[in-house]
Amino acid sequence: MAILERMDWYDLARTTNWTPKYVSESELFPAELSGDMGIPMAEWESYDEPYKQTYPEYVKIQREKDAGAYSVKAALERSKMFENADPGWLSVIKAHYGAIARAEYAAASAEARMARFAKAPGQRNMATLGMMDEIRHGQIQLYFPHEYVSKDRQFDWAFKAYDTNEWGAIAARHMFDNMMNARDAVGIGLMLTFAFETGFTNMQFLGLAADAAEAGDWTFSSLISSVQTDESRHAQIGGPLIPILLAHGKKAEAQRMVDIAFWRSWKLFSVLTGPMMDYYTPLAHRKQSFKEFMKEWIIDQFERAILDLGLERPWYWEQFIAELDYQHHGMHLGVWYWRPTVWWNPAAGVGPEERAWLEEKYPGWNDTWGKCWDVIIDNLLAGKRELTYPETLPIVCNMCQLPINATPGEVWKVRDHALEHKGRWYHFCSEPCKWCFEQEPERYEGHLSLIDRFLAGMIQPMDLGGGLKYMGLAPGEIGDDAHGYAWVEAYRNRAAAKPAA
Amino acid sequence: MALFPLTCNFQGDFVLQLLPVDTEFTMDQVAAAAAYHSVGRRVAPRPGAILRVRPQGAEAPFPRTMKVVESGLLPMQCIEVIWEPSQA
Repeated sequence: MAILERMDWYDLARTTNWTPKYVSESELFPAELSGDMGIPMAEWESYDEPYKQTYPEYVKIQREKDAGAYSVKAALERSKMFENADPGWLSVIKAHYGAIARAEYAAASAEARMARFAKAPGQRNMATLGMMDEIRHGQIQLYFPHEYVSKDRQFDWAFKAYDTNEWGAIAARHMFDNMMNARDAVGIGLMLTFAFETGFTNMQFLGLAADAAEAGDWTFSSLISSVQTDESRHAQIGGPLIPILLAHGKKAEAQRMVDIAFWRSWKLFSVLTGPMMDYYTPLAHRKQSFKEFMKEWIIDQFERAILDLGLERPWYWEQFIAELDYQHHGMHLGVWYWRPTVWWNPAAGVGPEERAWLEEKYPGWNDTWGKCWDVIIDNLLAGKRELTYPETLPIVCNMCQLPINATPGEVWKVRDHALEHKGRWYHFCSEPCKWCFEQEPERYEGHLSLIDRFLAGMIQPMDLGGGLKYMGLAPGEIGDDAHGYAWVEAYRNRAAAKPAA
Repeated sequence: MALFPLTCNFQGDFVLQLLPVDTEFTMDQVAAAAAYHSVGRRVAPRPGAILRVRPQGAEAPFPRTMKVVESGLLPMQCIEVIWEPSQA
């Protein structure tokens, strides 16, 4: 019996918008879950996904992908990567697993919502595959770090992070809950798959895969490359929604969702991926700077995608471009200074050679960020390590939940972007974070940032010990300098080599 | 006397920090409390220089002897702690 070619039956097989007899259409697809914006059912049938795949094809390909990633892991289990890797690289993978692995399960739930409630049949089909993708990503990114747990308990945070009130986990949950767990099928399509996945996961998964290969961590490289092949397929769920929304006068709504999700994604990547690429990855293994990756993957590719689909650049585009020069430097300095509050060991990444690289990639770094690091280095050289630990908390943004920071030194750009709403003052890192709040205040107004919780007496005792307990950081898990401050010796040697004036 | 939290933005530093002060603190005491968390940690000391306090967005600093309770500041309002302009 002849087997039909896929394209001979694909469109017919996924034409599944039947007319319900026992319930009404609005009961089958409640507006708050479908997010249909009043656009009739038949109109959604024009949804045309660019990446067509059938279930048998999916299963065959996924099996091959898993076999590939797992066989690399098995082959390299005795490779001593853990023992031989630079401690900065281990921090990269610890931070990655803790921030990403459990979020993949939340993404599976979001894909499932699209698979059930999207009114576009093609979207439901793609999301069914996307849901299985995300379950795979959750499982594989918990299984791979598990082999390191017996060697280093910080790896336990691959699973643990999302169940804690650690500040980075709060920030990640606040963002992912917003675009995955608390949106309708159209919102998830635009915010999770289009803005976040098209825009940003390439950065984390392809950019980092390149650094991983350079660092000799082939297991991690093959793992996240494998994950990204799924992302590049299901990231295309959101795009085909946009022509339908535009054709029905819903451009403003689509633009707003994309703008919110893109900005929130940027902030999370500035604290996660920026420090990994420009500070934690050993200098010899860096493929490109974070800014160069962002320019290639975001500015060039995402900007083209939004314009091609008929949307505009987000209104804050110029500020976004400007932040590429400074925001992740501040996130890195904050993470390093408050290092007991993270589940990995931040690599300072500011030895003399690294600083020369930073100055080359970010002209002016030494006159701004370098000024703060100079004081830290002087304290470490003088044996005053206690002055390199915090004795108070940074103020975190009521939207991105990350420390409010900007360029220091003579230019001193730090500002509080405050807003009074229903008698409560909210503090934001930037006008776009404040704008996100103002778009949907009822969604965010009840949330307490870590600082709000501290001031409300929810963190006891009100000191670092109480804070670490609240964040779930046990002894042996709290972060410290990745290289045990060995990098400072280069400055001591340099001072000793300098002839007396 | 009551604990009074402020948001502190110290000139030359990179991050806003939580600054717990007392309502009876003078602005010089507020500045000293703020300096404890920035100067000699991430901001280089300026020996002999005077620090002034102003609300974010204002040009003029508060009088140095003004108490927090007299200043009209709200809890968690952002203050800027700046080096006296002639010495900045």
